Amino acid sequence: MPVAELNPHSQTGNHESAEIVVSVRGLTKVFKDFWNRPKARAVDNVDFEVRRGEVFGLLGPNGSGKSTTVKLLLGLLNPTRGHIEVFGHSPRHVQTKSRIGYLPEESYLYRYLNSRETLDFFGNLFQLSKGERENRAGQLLEMVGLSQVHTRAVGEFSKGMQRRIGLAQALINDPDLVILDEPTSGLDPIGCREMKDLILALSRRGKTVILSSHLLADVEDVCDRVVILYGGKVQAMGTLKELLSEPDTLRITTPVLPRETLTRVLELIRHDVAADTVRVDNPTQNLESYFLEVVQKARRAAAETSGAISGARVAAYLRAGAEERPPAEKILERLALPQTAQPATAPKPAPPAAAPAVDANKLEALTKAAAPAPAKPAAAPEPKPADLSKADEKLSSLLGKPE
Amino acid sequence: MQRLLAIAWLTWKAAFRFRLFLVIAVLLLISVVGLPVLVKDDGTPQGFTQILLTYTLTAITGLLGLSTLWLSCGTLARDIEECQLQLVAIKPIARWQIWLGKWLGIMSLNAVLLALSGACVYGLLYWRAARLPAAEQAALREQVLVARGSAKPQNYTAAIEAETEQTLQERLKANPELSHSADLTEVRKQIREQVKAQYQLVPPNYLHEWQIDLGFAKNFLHDKPLQLRVKFNAAQKSASGTFLAVWQVGEPNVTPLWQPPEGPMSLAPDTFHEFQIPPNLFDSKGVLTIVFVNPNNTSLLFPLDDGMEVLYPEGGFALNFARGLAIILCWMGFVAALGLAAASFLSFPVAAFFSMAILVVGLSSGTLADAVESGTVVGGNGETGAMGHSVADAVLIPMFKGLLVAINLVKSFSPIDSLSSGRSISWTELGTAFGQIVLLLGGITGVIGMVLFSRRELATAQGNQ
Repeated sequence: MPVAELNPHSQTGNHESAEIVVSVRGLTKVFKDFWNRPKARAVDNVDFEVRRGEVFGLLGPNGSGKSTTVKLLLGLLNPTRGHIEVFGHSPRHVQTKSRIGYLPEESYLYRYLNSRETLDFFGNLFQLSKGERENRAGQLLEMVGLSQVHTRAVGEFSKGMQRRIGLAQALINDPDLVILDEPTSGLDPIGCREMKDLILALSRRGKTVILSSHLLADVEDVCDRVVILYGGKVQAMGTLKELLSEPDTLRITTPVLPRETLTRVLELIRHDVAADTVRVDNPTQNLESYFLEVVQKARRAAAETSGAISGARVAAYLRAGAEERPPAEKILERLALPQTAQPATAPKPAPPAAAPAVDANKLEALTKAAAPAPAKPAAAPEPKPADLSKADEKLSSLLGKPE
Repeated sequence: MQRLLAIAWLTWKAAFRFRLFLVIAVLLLISVVGLPVLVKDDGTPQGFTQILLTYTLTAITGLLGLSTLWLSCGTLARDIEECQLQLVAIKPIARWQIWLGKWLGIMSLNAVLLALSGACVYGLLYWRAARLPAAEQAALREQVLVARGSAKPQNYTAAIEAETEQTLQERLKANPELSHSADLTEVRKQIREQVKAQYQLVPPNYLHEWQIDLGFAKNFLHDKPLQLRVKFNAAQKSASGTFLAVWQVGEPNVTPLWQPPEGPMSLAPDTFHEFQIPPNLFDSKGVLTIVFVNPNNTSLLFPLDDGMEVLYPEGGFALNFARGLAIILCWMGFVAALGLAAASFLSFPVAAFFSMAILVVGLSSGTLADAVESGTVVGGNGETGAMGHSVADAVLIPMFKGLLVAINLVKSFSPIDSLSSGRSISWTELGTAFGQIVLLLGGITGVIGMVLFSRRELATAQGNQ
């Protein structure tokens, strides 16, 4: 494992100088049996730091120590050794907790409360005024698609609906640090996408997000940096770009080229690399994006569901500040989300292993040769410009319309 | 405070959503309405009312005590086991606030249930009283549905101890070998009983005089009739089941004298008797002199603690009843603290069992007191009278003494007895009960519970079970 991958100070450019929100040094947790004999070493000498505005992923298979680490960060477990600071304080520091939101892996909500009472109860713990509690509860229920069922007891909810109300309670205090344990577990694809959009929206507002998951796609789509745990130990850590990019390969994406242009390009490339290492195909969108598109079409055709009604706006108090950028920029950014992640926050997946390396000069020549093609950002390929308005509408409904 | 109230509100929600409130309320109402049908009394309105008060309030206390114990163990232990507390504990609320909020929730629930059932008992009493003839109603209001102050003869404990010690030393001086061969503890105990008997016993054809200081109450007792509450034991049974009692109240040449106009009373032993005496029989210092003559051919014994008591009107029944319920609420406060403290470190069933065991030990304090008095946990030899000893005594007896101190803090109040005998429960008594039971004992239990709860890891495997 490269040494650089274990450097806890490895940061993205945007966050290098940001305030340290979470600092973990030498964290070890050993579970003991009744006779105080060591039973399991769930977390073993883990170090990492999370800075303000980062989306930080805790990645690992089941039993790797992710959830234990999260519970140590929240003060629900006491470390056997090591040091944890959250906003410069112990995780048990009461006032610090007012800046944290937590979505647990399972629904740990009171089953006899309905969703509005649940949010009201947690709002009281943050000492919010009655008006503020009502306001936020209304917005959050709208956001998570439960406003139609706010009088039903949480115990009657499906797992996905419980995740949604769980998310709402985690955001009732507009937290500076959001800790999400397996956030997409139990959610349908629409809910998964909304969750990821929400994480990105929070990140844009400068909120820090710690995401624990074993679902690689979740982490890849939203995380700036990840730590990969296995057996309670850090196996790798760094930005996704550091961990995933292959500097000796290159991928070029263009609109459809005329056959003769493509032939010329391939000839140029094959001049430098073996023919069997060059591949030409059409990019495909992933299943999630396709599924979303189908569902959105069905919804527009007035199809109804019996459960949570998804796709409402991100609560206004959570959007505040995230929409200060020009609408055009946001739309472009959103358009990039379904098919490829944003360059700064979610790098594209690594190219196929068989892709050949391309010389920089050849690339320049290639670009010139392709000059007549429409100018589009390389990171946001869009084969159908005519669908822009539809895509904008779809994403606006998920994240809220630009103001 | 907002956080505390939020947790308390949650307890209310749980009690209503799980129908616990409804079930307890119905059970309480059944016990209040149903018991009067089942109880047997002495046929007098006073007797019936006393038994009714005793049974219904005892049933309410027992039922509410059990539900409080169950709820307090369940509300915390289950929240931990079902992980809901993980979500609460990561919010800006201290663990002690969660604990205290739960306690407040349970106590407010208890207060409402107690007020509800108390109101039913009160209403039932007055409804039945209203259907009695006027004379019986008046007697009931004088003896039961009233708050009466109480005055007793002076405490002779110190005098008895001094006399016991003096007698023992005299006998040891006369028989020096006794100090080596006899169990001095047992000898002292027997001498004490002999000395005590002198203060209690009235041999045949002898008289016994009590001088009872009414204290500050004398100032507002002029022209008001008083009541004597007496109880005696007899050395032998009488054929009729009763004994004659000749009474004279008042100081000759100082105050008016009173004797029962109907002559000697015929009274049963081992039971309390109350009879009214005319006003203004006490002297200017507030001392009431009572003389009893024993015309029977057997000795009668008036126990020092409750053999003779003067009762005088002090206030209304309604407020007294409310104060009595408030003391019962104090008991519930301790039970809730005990249950929550147990649930702070134990799972629900174990916590319920543990706190139930503590209560059982508390209720069997008589056994503990016997062991402490005899100085050993092993029994004595029935034939020789010698007491056995065990190495465990060195640990258990001091522990029992400590337990008894704690138990007596709770058991030294008897609101049900007071209410059923029409005796006043003063604000001072209520304040003392609150201080001893809630603040001191409940406070210590609460602090232990809060510390244990604060140190507990809420996300351990045990917590998820």
